[in-house]
Amino acid sequence: MKLLKYTFALLACAIFTNCSIDNDDNEEDLSGETGELILKFDNSVGDQDFIFETSYSKSNNESFKLTNVKYIISNVRVTDTEGNTFTYPTEENVFIVSELNGNNAGEIYITLNDIDAADYTEITFGIGIDQERFALGADGQGDFLDLASEEGMMWSWASGYKFVRFDGTFSTDTVTDEPLNIHMGSVGEALDNYREVTLSFPNTVLVREENSPEVHIVADISKVFDGATTVNFADGYDQVHTDETETPIIASNVQTMFEVHHVHND
Amino acid sequence: MRYIREMLLVMVLVFSCSESSDIAKYEPVSVEVEMPSNFPDMVYNMDNNPITEAGFELGKDLFYEGKLSSNNAIACAFCHEQAFAFTHHGHNLSHGVDGGVGTRNAQPIQNLAYQTSFMWDGAATHLDLQPIIPLTSEVEMNETLSNVISKLEADTDYQDKFARAFEDGEVNTENMLKALSQFMVMMVSSNSKYDKYVRNEDNVTFTALETDGLNTFNNKCATCHATDLFSDQSFRNNGLPINPLLDDKGSYDILENTEDLYKFKVPSLRNVVVTYPYMHDGRFTTLEAVLDFYDNGAIDNGNVDPLLLREDGSYGITLSDYEKESLIAFLNTLTDTEFLEDERFAEF
Repeated sequence: MKLLKYTFALLACAIFTNCSIDNDDNEEDLSGETGELILKFDNSVGDQDFIFETSYSKSNNESFKLTNVKYIISNVRVTDTEGNTFTYPTEENVFIVSELNGNNAGEIYITLNDIDAADYTEITFGIGIDQERFALGADGQGDFLDLASEEGMMWSWASGYKFVRFDGTFSTDTVTDEPLNIHMGSVGEALDNYREVTLSFPNTVLVREENSPEVHIVADISKVFDGATTVNFADGYDQVHTDETETPIIASNVQTMFEVHHVHND
Repeated sequence: MRYIREMLLVMVLVFSCSESSDIAKYEPVSVEVEMPSNFPDMVYNMDNNPITEAGFELGKDLFYEGKLSSNNAIACAFCHEQAFAFTHHGHNLSHGVDGGVGTRNAQPIQNLAYQTSFMWDGAATHLDLQPIIPLTSEVEMNETLSNVISKLEADTDYQDKFARAFEDGEVNTENMLKALSQFMVMMVSSNSKYDKYVRNEDNVTFTALETDGLNTFNNKCATCHATDLFSDQSFRNNGLPINPLLDDKGSYDILENTEDLYKFKVPSLRNVVVTYPYMHDGRFTTLEAVLDFYDNGAIDNGNVDPLLLREDGSYGITLSDYEKESLIAFLNTLTDTEFLEDERFAEF
């Protein structure tokens, strides 16, 4: 009888110890837990913050001033330390980042809800609308069509999205304050200008129920013109709409705009 | 007395119950979509937008709804009249709100589920998204998607109709466009004399003139007006003289590629007899004028389709008077009265 008591006591000990060992191994059990992740987009030009109507110089002695800076971000997904990828629900996974919607610091917030709690190391997102989403037509678009239409991110003469909008004026050695309009997008299935970027976080992003980490993404607008390829307004890059040669170059330049500057975990 | 009071109470309860069950709810009664045996495969993906009775009816209401325009008067049907295969009867160019005039002739709405692109220049590649173009065009309906939605949301009739047509029941752009597509996907024209002839139905036979017309058509027209949709869905420059007033560059506008200058989508010829006037700008009012143009009116505007190059270096399709006469007899067999009078698509 006494022996049995001891056995029970030992068993209980074993169970408790086991449990505590388990806890130490996995640190914390995150299954079923979700939290928020906030993306802060911050437009810049080189090492300056972007400000409307301010003149910025680029290569080739050219300069530009913008009144409109907008781009579509979609298919946001984050990868954790274990290599698992969490993709935001497709229907909601499309956003318009517009400088006009920025706070006084020129930051535009995108809040992602119900992200699986985990330790994330990198983020991937697309610029524009991929062919798969476009092929859905109206399906799963909800109110995004209205939003895109209101924000001037759709062509009215064709049923396509403008992936980016940079409107303003430019000056060169020979002209001053001429109209500048960079409206790049895909054209049906004929021209696919959707691009994706993957950015590593400088430190691990801890998504938990009780903390909403903020990822500060800087988008360097100067890369639109001086990115992977340098383009000049004087050579026709002052008006970019659907041109088959110009738009893929702008798309690839826009792809190089983004950088995760820092992360706040609380 | 007390008994009566209780009865009344019961009646009130029953009444309120039956009232609450009247609230519109999703009713997915599926509708069979016609897939004619002589047609190529359907392009439209119905998995993303299954056709239901309520969805089709809502689409029809929207098609005939003036609220889709800024002055609440110009419905889709304004430029797309059923009796003329949903074209704008007699108008070379159509007019929209506030006296705006477009630059191209309204195209028929038929067999759109089988098309890979829409508009004369292919500016839309998905049927769901096509209506956005006329709806937001200043010279057509001059509206915004969100404003149309607020007008529809304010209408209890539409609240019920959207609730019946879609699972989420929301009055939003997605559902509005899906409903319009459901209506248009159903608009299949496939019962002309020609269809019955090729499908060996109802003992339909062609006259000698119609048969000669069909042969000429197959020899001289069917490369572009291919399949039983009567279009290979390509974009081609057929050598029309440029109208300097419009200076319409066609599908060049899409990619600004000089190879696309003055190219327009090869139109279907179904119901062609009733869809006059012809060409992208409606410049020809009769089929005779169209055939005369192909015979001796085409010019070298710089980018004419090589298929139209004749041995003498000119562009066009040589046609004798008899060939023209028989072609027109053949084209008359493409009129599908059942479609033009189909009550499912009629406003009233």
